[in-house]
Amino acid sequence: MESALISVLLVFLLGAASAAVFFDSILNSIISLGVFGALMAAVFVVYQAPDVAMAQAVVGAGLITSFFVVTLSKTSAGAKSEPE
Amino acid sequence: MTFAHLIMLGLFLLGFWCVLTETDLIKIVVGFNIMEASLLLLLVKMAYVPGGRPPILFPAAPDAAKIVDPIPQALTLTAIVIGAATTALMLSLIVQLHRHYGTTDLDELREIR
Amino acid sequence: MKKAVALVLMLLLGACLLSALSGIPQAEYRLLHGEAPARIVQHGMDDTGAVNLVTGVLFDYRSFDTLGESTVIFTAVAGIMMLFLPGQVPLAGKGLSSMAKRSVDLLLPFVLIVGLYVISHGHISPGGGFQGGTIWATLTILMCIVYGTQFESQFIEYDAKKTLESAAAVALLLVGAVALFAGYPFLSNLAAGFPGGTPGQLVSAGHIPWLNAAVGMKVAAGLSLIFFSMVKKKSGEG
Repeated sequence: MESALISVLLVFLLGAASAAVFFDSILNSIISLGVFGALMAAVFVVYQAPDVAMAQAVVGAGLITSFFVVTLSKTSAGAKSEPE
Repeated sequence: MTFAHLIMLGLFLLGFWCVLTETDLIKIVVGFNIMEASLLLLLVKMAYVPGGRPPILFPAAPDAAKIVDPIPQALTLTAIVIGAATTALMLSLIVQLHRHYGTTDLDELREIR
Repeated sequence: MKKAVALVLMLLLGACLLSALSGIPQAEYRLLHGEAPARIVQHGMDDTGAVNLVTGVLFDYRSFDTLGESTVIFTAVAGIMMLFLPGQVPLAGKGLSSMAKRSVDLLLPFVLIVGLYVISHGHISPGGGFQGGTIWATLTILMCIVYGTQFESQFIEYDAKKTLESAAAVALLLVGAVALFAGYPFLSNLAAGFPGGTPGQLVSAGHIPWLNAAVGMKVAAGLSLIFFSMVKKKSGEG
C-alpha cells in the first residue's frame, strides 16, 4: 500500500521536474517548480518525516516560488527600460 | 537499489542536464534546485523503515525497531532552509547582473564581456 | 555540439551514480550499523526531554550544527543586503483589490497564530523554529503582495527587522552561554541544569523552547529581509 503510493507520487515528481526543465517559458517552469516542491512535501509525509514535510511545504511551494517570481519580474523585458 | 532510488537518480540527472544545456541563468537556478531536491529525497529515503512511525514519542512510544531514524531528517530540515537562503542569494546576484548588462542569457553575457 | 557533450557527461555521471546507489544498504541501514540512532531512539527522550526526536537532535545533540546553520542564513542575508544597498525608496506598489485586502485581514491573525503554535510546540509535535519562522516570513510576503511594499514597510520597519535578526542571533548565543556559566560545555541542555519537566508538556525539554523561539525569530526576520531587499526599487545612485 505505502510503496504503491510512494511510486505514484515519485512518478508525478519526475513529471513535474521534467516540466520545470523542458518548458520554454520561464514563468511556466517556475510554477512547475512550485508544484514540484508541494509534491516533495507529500513524499516526505509518506516517508514518515512530518517535520521535514512542513518545512518543505512552506519553503518549496511558497517562499522559493515568490523569490523566483520577483526575480523574473525584475529581469523581464519590461524592466529593461530603467535609466542608467 | 529500488524504484525510488532510480527516480532520485533521474531527478539528479535532469537537474544536471538543465544546468549544462540551458543558457538562461534563472533556468540554471531551477536546475540547481531540482538537483538539491533529489539529494534531500535520498537522505529521507535512507532514514525510512517500511511500516515505520514518525520519530515522535507521543502519546506513547512506538516499538523502537519501527521508529524512523531522526538524524537524517534533522539534516534534511536544515538543508531545506539553507537551500532557500542560497537560492535567494543566487537570484539576487542574477538581478544585479541584469542591472549591469541588461540580460540574463549566458551567451549574450559572453558576447558583451 | 554542446548538447552532445552534455549528454555524454550526463550518461557518465549517471553510470557513476548508478554504481554508487547499488551499494546503498536499504531500509535496514539504521538497524545494521546505527549506534547513534539506536541510542537516540531509546534514550533520546530522557537525554533531551523532547518528545519530538527530530527537534531533540536539532537543538540538543547537534545544536552546534544548528548554530552554524543560522550563521549561514545570517551570511546570506548580509550578502543580499550588501548587493541591494540600503537607504533606497521601496517600490511603491498599489496592491490588489479591496476584496483581497479584506480577506487577507481575516486570514492574518490565524496565520500568525499558526506560526506561533508551530514554534512553541516544536518539542512536542512536528514543527519548530525553522518551520514557524518560515510561516511568519511568508506572512510578510503575503502582505507585500496584497497591500504593496509601501504599507508593509510602514507596518514592520526595515530597521526593526534588522535589529530583530541580530537580537535573535545574540539570544541564541546567550542561551548557549548559560551552560558555560554553570560550568558545562557550550549549549548543553539538561546537564547544565535547565529544568526538564515532564516530557510531553508544553513547558519541558530545558532550553529547547528558548532556542526554538530564537531560531524562529531569526529565520522569520532573515527570510523576510531577503524578500524585502529583492523587491526594493534599485540601488546605486541616490
